[in-house]
Amino acid sequence: MPLVARRTVLAVGLGGAAAIALHVVPAPTFAYAAAQARIGEPAPAFSLADSYGKTISLGDFKGKTVVLEWTNHDCPYVRKHYGGDNMQMLQKKWTAEGVVWLTLISSAPGTEGYVTGEEANKLTAQRAAAPTHVLLDPQGDVGRAYGAQTTPHMYVIKGDGTLAYMGGIDDRPTTRLEDLKIAKNFVDAALTELAQGKPVSRTTARPYGCSVKYLY
Amino acid sequence: MQGLAPGLVLALALLLAPTLSRTLVRTLVWALAKARFLTRRLRHGPAFGGTRGLRQGLPRTLVRSLPRAAGRLLLAGLLLAGLLLAWLIGIGSMTARASPPAEELVRAELLVEPQAIAPGQPFWVGVRLRLKPGWHVYWRNPGDSGEAPTIAWHLPPGFTASSIAWPTPVRIPIAHLVNFGYEGETMLLARIAPATELSEAANIAADVTWLVCERECIPGQASLSLSLPVARGDTVPADRAKELIFAAARGDLPRPSPWRARLALEPENLTLAVDAKPLATAAVRAAYFFPNAETLVRHAAPQELSIVRDGLRLRLERSPLSTAAPADAGGVLLVEEGDGTTTKRHAFDLTDVLIDQAPAANQSVSPMAVLHAAALALLGGIILNLMPCVFPVLSIKVLGLIEQAGTSRNQVRRHGLAYTAGVLVAFAALGAALFGMRAAGAEVGWGFQLQSQMAVVLFAYLLFAVGLNLSGVFHLGSSLQGLGHGWARRSGLSGSFLTGALAAVVATPCTAPFMATALGFAFTQPTPIALIVTLALGLGLALPYLGLTLAPQLIPRLPRPGPWMETLRQLLGFPVYATAAWLIWVLAQQVSPAGLFAALAGLVLVGLAAWSFNRSQSAGEWGRRLARGALLAALCGVAATVVAVELDRHGPASAAPSAAQHEPFTQARLDELIATGRPVFVNLTAAWCITCLLNERTALATTAVEATFAAKGITYLTGDWTRRNPEITRLLEKYGRSGVPLYLLYSGDGAPAVLPQILTSATVLAAVARIPELGGERTSVPDTTKE
Repeated sequence: MPLVARRTVLAVGLGGAAAIALHVVPAPTFAYAAAQARIGEPAPAFSLADSYGKTISLGDFKGKTVVLEWTNHDCPYVRKHYGGDNMQMLQKKWTAEGVVWLTLISSAPGTEGYVTGEEANKLTAQRAAAPTHVLLDPQGDVGRAYGAQTTPHMYVIKGDGTLAYMGGIDDRPTTRLEDLKIAKNFVDAALTELAQGKPVSRTTARPYGCSVKYLY
Repeated sequence: MQGLAPGLVLALALLLAPTLSRTLVRTLVWALAKARFLTRRLRHGPAFGGTRGLRQGLPRTLVRSLPRAAGRLLLAGLLLAGLLLAWLIGIGSMTARASPPAEELVRAELLVEPQAIAPGQPFWVGVRLRLKPGWHVYWRNPGDSGEAPTIAWHLPPGFTASSIAWPTPVRIPIAHLVNFGYEGETMLLARIAPATELSEAANIAADVTWLVCERECIPGQASLSLSLPVARGDTVPADRAKELIFAAARGDLPRPSPWRARLALEPENLTLAVDAKPLATAAVRAAYFFPNAETLVRHAAPQELSIVRDGLRLRLERSPLSTAAPADAGGVLLVEEGDGTTTKRHAFDLTDVLIDQAPAANQSVSPMAVLHAAALALLGGIILNLMPCVFPVLSIKVLGLIEQAGTSRNQVRRHGLAYTAGVLVAFAALGAALFGMRAAGAEVGWGFQLQSQMAVVLFAYLLFAVGLNLSGVFHLGSSLQGLGHGWARRSGLSGSFLTGALAAVVATPCTAPFMATALGFAFTQPTPIALIVTLALGLGLALPYLGLTLAPQLIPRLPRPGPWMETLRQLLGFPVYATAAWLIWVLAQQVSPAGLFAALAGLVLVGLAAWSFNRSQSAGEWGRRLARGALLAALCGVAATVVAVELDRHGPASAAPSAAQHEPFTQARLDELIATGRPVFVNLTAAWCITCLLNERTALATTAVEATFAAKGITYLTGDWTRRNPEITRLLEKYGRSGVPLYLLYSGDGAPAVLPQILTSATVLAAVARIPELGGERTSVPDTTKE
């Protein structure tokens, strides 16, 4: 009893400080779980049907640099990059270097940018685009796993499967074609650095464009 | 209780979710989202313009939606059926693929407030955008997607235009993303300053671009222009109708925040702290922060509001795109105030948000600086032993040592180490609590525990109980053995450990002179370094006793045990009573007379508890039961008084000793005085700061100093930190201090002189010597005041 009493007295004294802490420290509330891709961490794995109906997995490209491009062909920002031949040029330049270029469409059926595989192939031909695969994500699962917000929204994954770049394609968040000439292209810069065996110096940029037309 | 229902539903949903098929869950979520989208359309659709204020601009999580699922599903079903019918009979097509041309979506106009302009007189212009219902344009930070409008002005030579003044935006959720922008109608304001000479009408033109979105996005632009006549004479003719439009537009701008805000950075989260007492007491129901920077916050994440005594705290999720050191942490804070029947919304522009880098690895501190601070802290800790709050506790411990002179040296050594461990653990706990609170956004400093009424009264009771024990009112341990069996001399090692912890707890308010610099340094450092300095302070406190136990050759030189020890023990009770009395006096600065009475009644009850505890140990069967009952009742009474004191919120707001010419410190008053170039003396003090009070009594309240202050017209500002005061905390931080005292002397020409922490009249007089007397010429006394 005496020892217990003594401890109680002390505990009360020490508890004083803790009591004040309770006044200011907000009570923990419902935690918000959101899947988020992070630089330097393994990129979320996925398997999706491509425009020819073939299942493509990220794991198929171990050892290779992979680019993910979220797109919606009717979005004015995407139109800028395809209309100005900017996206196609990047695709051709880097797939020639052995980079895997995956174009993803997360528009839900009935929303802007949603296409069937056949329509996607037609668009690729019309625009003379050169992605390795066009992947269809109408449920939006992969888009949400990566936190893709806009079209375009770009990700670069290193050969070891970790994320090296995510964000906007360049530093001109506009729909003006003429801005392509003066823009600094972050994806091109990241791929160049990776090809030279250097670490990527700019790993994130604000993604800009239309919102990805998710189902929910 | 109300909050339980959604929680239960959520828990149930979470439990069931994995068992439900994926598709079912999705359909539910989709239907909910659709229902919300459609009901929103229904509510706001017909109102073309002016929907801005109506919209609930606050996060609505799925969590809150679930209980309403049934109603929504029903509504969604009805709506979908209606829409299907409409589609079937060909009234309208739901497919928006064929987007309407941009001109139909946005009507842009250029407006000018006055009828005519006058040379050099700035005026307001606005670009009004009226949107088709359901469509939106963006704020300066568009959120997860989108683009802010731009205005390129084409003005006559000599004219300049301000940047866009953005109206308060609303939150526009789209699927799981969130945009910030405007629906219905908005006006982007700018202020144009014309040339100083105007001869003919001025043509102003604006090339406006925007992105307008519903689900789909369409870029638009307009070239707008106006010809502005020049006013004849000085007066600018007003245009009543325009004035109303512009007054309304200005009303939509966020007001400059009267309060400072701070943003604490953590790897995953951000805590925005707005120190606004009026908001803390107002009925704030919700708050939302719109960040100016696009890559600071995860826009779609819920923002958790907590109201603390000093204002609001908003817990935000950090954007994975945010940089290590964000350049702009400003934004707009939207606060919703409601009393149940009406809701008022206030928007504040938070500029100059201070950024608190929580443990940042990139800051490198030289090991020498850490060593220096640790050495200072060690010295400060040793001095703490002599403080009235620590000395008795330590003395009793030494008494115990004398008694143990006969025991083995190893045993003595172990006691020394246990005591040291107790001190260090208590200091580490205090340090962790302090730095944890800072990380949570609270503005606290060393000695913060005495800013809480509950802590002060608990300390007072604790010390009073220690005093009663010393006086022999009650004994802990086997009560019959008498001498030396005080609670601080428990033969077990746990007793030594607990004494160490007690010494640390009671020592903290006695900020010794050397500690301030060391702790001030610690406060600017990452937590590990801060803890090193704190622990060095603890080691200093433990060192004298530890030294004694580690150097056993000293022990035989101590006086032999004898009856004199009982006398000394009883005598040492009195400094402890004095400390308790001092704590009650500190409390008197914080609570109303009623609260003070509760505390004093509590002391009486502590006495009753001590006495009945003693009786319960020696009385017979019935007496023991009665005494135990009395003890229990007394302890309950003590607890009740603690609660009463804690709930007392009517205390004197400020209680620092103030002579007639002293003014309470506020930053605004100080800025005002500095601006007028008048000399100011700032004394930052607290009732529980002994150093401060000593300085006031011995150096500042002297006739010589008071007369000199009066002769030189020095305004004396007293900042009372007895209770928490963020304004004072900020000023302390500015000078690298974590606690009071701080003395600043502004001589009316720029940066203040920082006076030493131990003041004498001579120091103060020398410092003010260079300030000229009122009406006299400025003398050229060399500056001797710089530290």
